[in-house]
Amino acid sequence: MSTGDGSPVDFINGFLSLVIPDRSRMCGWDKMSNSRARNWTNFPSITGLHSMIRKPSNHSDKPVMDRRRFTVGSTSLLKKTFGRESLLAYALLTPAITLIVLFMFSPIAEVFSMSFHDTDRLGRMKELVYFQNYINRFQSREFWQVTIRSFVWTAIGVTTKTLFGLVIALLLNVEFKGRKIARLLFIIPWASAAPISTLLWKWVYHHEFGLLNHTLRSIGLADPPVWLGEPIPAFIACLWVDIWIGIPFMALVFLAGMQSISRDLYDAAYIDGAKFRQGFFRITLPGIRHMILIASLLSSLWTFNDFIVIYILTRGGPAGSTDILISGVYKTAFEWGKFDLAAVMSVVTFVILSIVSVVYARAYFKKED
Amino acid sequence: MSTRSGLLLVIGLMLMLPGLVFANGGGDKDAAEDKIEISYYWPLYEGVTEEYRLALETAFNESQSEIEIEIIPVDWEQQHDKLTTALSSGNPPAFATVPTRWLLEFVALDAVEPVDKYVSPATMDNIADGLKVAVVNGELMGLPVAAGARIMAYNADLTTTVPSTFEELREAAIEVAGSTDAYGLIMPGKKHAELSDFVYYFYGAGGDFFETNADGSYGKCTVNSPAGVKALSFMVQMATEDEVVQDGYMSMDRKGSQPVFYAGKAGYVLIGAWVESAAADSGEDFNMKYAQIPGFEGHGSAPLVVTDSIAFFSDAGEEELQAAGKFIDFWYQDEWKPQWDELVGFPPVTVSAAKLPQFQTPLYQALNEAAVNAKGWPLMDGFAEISDTIWDANEKALLGMMTPQEALDEAAAKIDDLRGM
Repeated sequence: MSTGDGSPVDFINGFLSLVIPDRSRMCGWDKMSNSRARNWTNFPSITGLHSMIRKPSNHSDKPVMDRRRFTVGSTSLLKKTFGRESLLAYALLTPAITLIVLFMFSPIAEVFSMSFHDTDRLGRMKELVYFQNYINRFQSREFWQVTIRSFVWTAIGVTTKTLFGLVIALLLNVEFKGRKIARLLFIIPWASAAPISTLLWKWVYHHEFGLLNHTLRSIGLADPPVWLGEPIPAFIACLWVDIWIGIPFMALVFLAGMQSISRDLYDAAYIDGAKFRQGFFRITLPGIRHMILIASLLSSLWTFNDFIVIYILTRGGPAGSTDILISGVYKTAFEWGKFDLAAVMSVVTFVILSIVSVVYARAYFKKED
Repeated sequence: MSTRSGLLLVIGLMLMLPGLVFANGGGDKDAAEDKIEISYYWPLYEGVTEEYRLALETAFNESQSEIEIEIIPVDWEQQHDKLTTALSSGNPPAFATVPTRWLLEFVALDAVEPVDKYVSPATMDNIADGLKVAVVNGELMGLPVAAGARIMAYNADLTTTVPSTFEELREAAIEVAGSTDAYGLIMPGKKHAELSDFVYYFYGAGGDFFETNADGSYGKCTVNSPAGVKALSFMVQMATEDEVVQDGYMSMDRKGSQPVFYAGKAGYVLIGAWVESAAADSGEDFNMKYAQIPGFEGHGSAPLVVTDSIAFFSDAGEEELQAAGKFIDFWYQDEWKPQWDELVGFPPVTVSAAKLPQFQTPLYQALNEAAVNAKGWPLMDGFAEISDTIWDANEKALLGMMTPQEALDEAAAKIDDLRGM
């Protein structure tokens, strides 16, 4: 699984093994000849869970719970809940949970509450107005335009990132001299601070002196677009920067997945006369489908909430043509001082992203079942 | 590590955490007992250098044994958002420079204090009375820091025509664009914090943003009046039909477009007093002259006048506001403030500085003349959203998405709706 050279792929592998410790099972590779993937008892556990899982039988590769150990008796349950190891686990989790409640759940609760109140220009809640803010917002044409634009922005952004990521991962998965350097170079857009990358693109897009229009002029396009000054070019320009920043993450996740697929499978397929296309669609793609799901979910959340690119490049202009929900939230709250309406937009964003996450999770676990 | 020692370690760390916080707070308190720390949001005016800011900060801190100031530079585009965030969190700076029109918002929130509570009478008496415009309910809520009317600057190496109407300006700009490789006129088309350039043409056509009710309050929005339509149509004509403005104007705000003039590549620009120092900073050497922003035929010159004020924020604390007052007394001396006025290009706000020889130049003569007929922004709460809405109308008309009439009708209806009319 690991390239062992300390490359970004190793990092991604490590990250994925934290998020999906049992990746090989999820991808179905355990059915292959990889003996390490068959060893279900190797997974680390601080709660002794691994002792409850025995090696798979010859008839099934799935781990089987040992029912004898999994006693539902009240004494055993109490012991598990309040045993020494469990107490240690609770103690270790307490600081993290406290911080999450303090800095994550309480602001979310506050925003929900704010969306049902009238607020002043500093966001201080005044009177309870129930659903009036929602009614006001939902009656606004701009709100729906911005919401639909957010979906279009996310759909195009995530699809393009996924496709580019796949192509780049395939290229980087090929043995060639300088592959390590190429991998490092590909990670630069993702590793750089997003505001710096965006500022760099702002200069590239400059109408007079930017590299892009200079190139377009030099190849004979006399009147290139004003990239950040016209609605459609500005939308494309912003979207491209978001895509450019996001591609390396997708590529490296896919690459890590591809490297986990046993070479034996490809060898066997090619001996049987399979072509590259068949190898890709029958082995590679099924092998990394869970990673595609996870990566595209994360990418959807990040893309939907990509504030930095829009704020730095266009601030939502021209004429609001690049505003998405998240930039609209900022503008409504901090520029116009309408925190109540901004809270409604935040709640809508929260609900949309929660639904997206649930749909993804269902798809993910459905496949696992 | 055994479970017991693990538990003990976690409990120990959790117990230590508040201790560390209090210890840190205690340290801060000790430091605060030594010195009163205050901060000042210092917007980045064109022309004012970083060296000046640092020199002023250092000089004041060295002159005080009990006060430590941090002058925080903030881009004008971020100043409003940053202040809103700071005020929302209950942790505002002691004072900040703001456009005077924002003060109404802060007064409505009960977030600012009268300035003469903290600034010494000697300093207050040295400020020209006519500039003390930020009076709300009989109290001066903002200290004048900059006040100046807008003027027209032209590159005399490219043109010698001094237009007396906007119609003449158009002809002169066409002439410059046609006979030289420079642009006729600078026109920012991208939204920024101030609603220029529309307002120059709007006021020049005799326009007003709102009806004025009998009691002096503002009525319905009149940005779609014949004056508004005339102003926006003129901008569209210059930009899209005559094509005399700089290329890529839709992607350029004020800060992005005016350097084209400083580089000697445009005939005319409607601009503020900072033009002289900013052009000097650019290093280009051309013959720059000043004139009044004209009006349309049949209308007199009515340039925009902008006043900026210093607001003192209540939540900063009484001691901090007293310290901020001392800083103002220090800064408004002739040793410091006239230097700033000169850098930023605004006429001085202090009586003593106005007599200094450096403020008797052609630039200041033009500024003084412009002030006679100048009009300010409407003083109303929530103008930022109104300005944004009119900007959107400007952009839609310039992009050809709507006619000027349609765009301004839509904007006026939206503004009335926003204001509950």
